Amino acid sequence: MPALFTIAWIYFRIGLIFVGGGYVLIPLLNHIMVEQYKWLTLQQFLDGLALSQLTPGPLAMLATFTGFRAGGFAGALVATVFIFIPCVVFMLIVGRNYERLKKIDLINSTLDGLLPAVVGLVAAAAWNLGVASLSGVKEFLILAVGFVIFKWTKVSPMIVILGAGVVGLLIS
Amino acid sequence: MNNSAQKVSLTNIFLTFAKIGLTGFGGGMAIVALIERICVKEKRWLGNEEFMHGLAFGQILGPFSLNTCTFIGHYLRGIRGGIIAAVAFILPSFLLVTTLSWLYFTYHKLPQLQAALKGTNPVVIGLIVVVAIDMGRKQIKGANSFLMALLAFTATVFFKLNAAWVLLAAAAWSLGVSIYRRRYS
Repeated sequence: MPALFTIAWIYFRIGLIFVGGGYVLIPLLNHIMVEQYKWLTLQQFLDGLALSQLTPGPLAMLATFTGFRAGGFAGALVATVFIFIPCVVFMLIVGRNYERLKKIDLINSTLDGLLPAVVGLVAAAAWNLGVASLSGVKEFLILAVGFVIFKWTKVSPMIVILGAGVVGLLIS
Repeated sequence: MNNSAQKVSLTNIFLTFAKIGLTGFGGGMAIVALIERICVKEKRWLGNEEFMHGLAFGQILGPFSLNTCTFIGHYLRGIRGGIIAAVAFILPSFLLVTTLSWLYFTYHKLPQLQAALKGTNPVVIGLIVVVAIDMGRKQIKGANSFLMALLAFTATVFFKLNAAWVLLAAAAWSLGVSIYRRRYS
């Protein structure tokens, strides 16, 4: 089991580059947890993604799941606290100076400029995870149905994931 | 900082954001809509304009649902208020995810659970594809941004570069472009 200090340092650094919304965490955590440190298998990572969709709160709770795997309850706590320290501190600084910061557009234009890269990274995550885990006609069929529901209906992801779990049980 | 006469108590802040954290299913904008309804419309803790500013800054680093909570907590009661709002918002999800993680790692060898998760896998990938498409339609305008997205995709898929480095490189590039535009336009 890795030392809590290592977990804290890893998640803190992820928190520092956590930009463009929760989905950027999928490529970041996949690379670090599955490929670099091998704390989780790819299968467990995908299962964790499904689980984090079943709960309220941001997708960033995926950090809690991976932290739990890396270091039990303490690991989950340390991972969650440290991934959120940078953004909480940032918002406190913003809150304190926001009358002045309102006029600074450099941050916003920089952020807007890098968002296309986030799109590329999220697409790459779908590609990498798909290539590594999908096989067989049934799975592609489920993917297609899921895609259609997410793209063109407003059904909550939680319901879709639960439904997919039932489908998985029925066809096994 | 707060315009209203009486201070909002830290306990009140904690309970309000814990409730939001517990009921905020649907993620992202659904949670922000809930925060807006409770903090702006029902409790009148802050005006719509302040709320929109908090939301705008919340897009920069980390999840904007959490950031909006931190911002409002800070607006009401300074640093302590901000930290309490953030902790209260995350706590219910944290406890739920920890419990689910424990159940998962204890029972994930059960054939029934394996079968169910075999069904959820493709759907999760479908969800990521939808997110990539929707984000792409919003963020990719013109050849430059398309090229940046393509480079990021290629770098991680074919050259196996670390996503963190790709992100840092994009940030450095974007900062450079922003500074250049400011100076010469």
